[in-house]
Amino acid sequence: MDVLPRAIRNWLYNLIYHERSVAYVKIDAQHLVVAKGGSVERHGLSSLRIGEPVAEQLEFMEGLLPGLDLPYDLPMIELPSGRVADLHLLSEDSCVWLIFLDATVERGNKQRIQQKAYEMTLLQERLRSLNDKLQAMNEALRQSQEDLAREYQRSEALLLNVLPASIAERLKAHEQIADDHAEVSVLFADIVSFTEKARSVGAETTVAILNRFFKAADLLSERHGCEKIKTIGDCVMVVAGLPVARADHAEALARYALELRKAAECENFAGEPLGLRIGLHSGPIVAGVIGKKRFAYDLWGDTVNLAARIQRSAEPAEIRISDATHDLLGPSFACQPLSETELRGAGRVRLWRLTA
Amino acid sequence: MLQKKICMLGGFSVGKTSLVRRFVQSIFSETYMTTVGVKIDKKNVELPDRTVNLILWDLAGEDDIGSFRVSYVRGATGLVLVVDGTRPATLAVALTLRERAEAEFGAMPGVLLFNKSDLADQWAISDLEMNELKTNGWPVYLTSALTGNSVDDAFHRLAEMVAH
Repeated sequence: MDVLPRAIRNWLYNLIYHERSVAYVKIDAQHLVVAKGGSVERHGLSSLRIGEPVAEQLEFMEGLLPGLDLPYDLPMIELPSGRVADLHLLSEDSCVWLIFLDATVERGNKQRIQQKAYEMTLLQERLRSLNDKLQAMNEALRQSQEDLAREYQRSEALLLNVLPASIAERLKAHEQIADDHAEVSVLFADIVSFTEKARSVGAETTVAILNRFFKAADLLSERHGCEKIKTIGDCVMVVAGLPVARADHAEALARYALELRKAAECENFAGEPLGLRIGLHSGPIVAGVIGKKRFAYDLWGDTVNLAARIQRSAEPAEIRISDATHDLLGPSFACQPLSETELRGAGRVRLWRLTA
Repeated sequence: MLQKKICMLGGFSVGKTSLVRRFVQSIFSETYMTTVGVKIDKKNVELPDRTVNLILWDLAGEDDIGSFRVSYVRGATGLVLVVDGTRPATLAVALTLRERAEAEFGAMPGVLLFNKSDLADQWAISDLEMNELKTNGWPVYLTSALTGNSVDDAFHRLAEMVAH
């Protein structure tokens, strides 16, 4: 290795000695301070006592020396005095030499750069966590909007199940619904010997039969442009001619009655075909929605009462219609006259049997 | 006099320097000042049977664990691991630093501090996670260098651990 000329070595020595304020502390095998020198004041070593243990005077030496492999570097140590030094530990004549090089300026420079870098990183972390929060909130918002839309559709569907579409629309517009309809036909149908048969087949079968019967009633009312108003036990109430008026309401409901009877006869209830008693009457009624929480679209008036009484007077599997309904039916319907019948609230009335 | 070297370890900006200042000088500054290299401080802790002089090595916090200078830990008899309770990633950093230190110098006693407990609305560490760490090793403290909450308790506990 080339050795630098003495003049350069001296120059380098002076440069480092002055620029870095070099100081040393010499420590013997018993960890006692045996000598010190250089810029001792600069590093706060003036009061260091020779012949006394080093760790009691320089706290940072606590625990460091036993078994230490030298040389050992501890860069940029800020001592309790506030001074910053690079520490180098060397081995020479069975002693440890502690070399102090001032690093205050270098530490200051490094700190400024690191401060900026960490502040930037902290900002980025904060930004990322804010972004994550924002995204989570957006996601929650989207979710609740979806739930709301689903809820709306559900309530919409429920409303349409219990109310005719045009009535539901008016109800949503906060309209009071009570309409006079001058010309409609009303039908009641119930199951023959329902109570006894229900007892003999049990609840499960009964519910299944009722379910199929009401489903058929719904399906047919759609097909014939009628409205199923409600079911009462095993009885179903259907109307034609509202909410939109139609001239052929009696014929539409008569066709409905014939098909409902046919559909019922395909069902087996306690070993026999499902038999219905059906009654029809035509006339003016009042229709409206009552209730605030549970809406019910219902019909009122003498026409309704009479239709119910005609139905109750019918024979099993018979479709019994009033004179008023009969007058509205065209020649394509086959009817048989029945003897005059006494009906409560109406006196003696003429009734007909619709056969086909 | 009984003298023990203690190292403060943890990610950057978790509050190591602030905890030492709170413990040694009972002050707190809102201004963030990053530590470069290491700052050495000391404080006597009175135990029932003796006094321990804790020599606190406040090591520069880590952003990138690769730059951690394990040689500073030489001679330490105890560790203070510091986590920022509002930044969950600093828990992994603290645990990795402990592993690095113990791989080099062997297992040693220590305490685990979840600092910044005053920032309750930004807290990001679950009770479940803290309980798990409590049952799995070191005493765990919820500290605040700002309010001083549990700071003395944690250092006293560590003083007891290293003095016996």
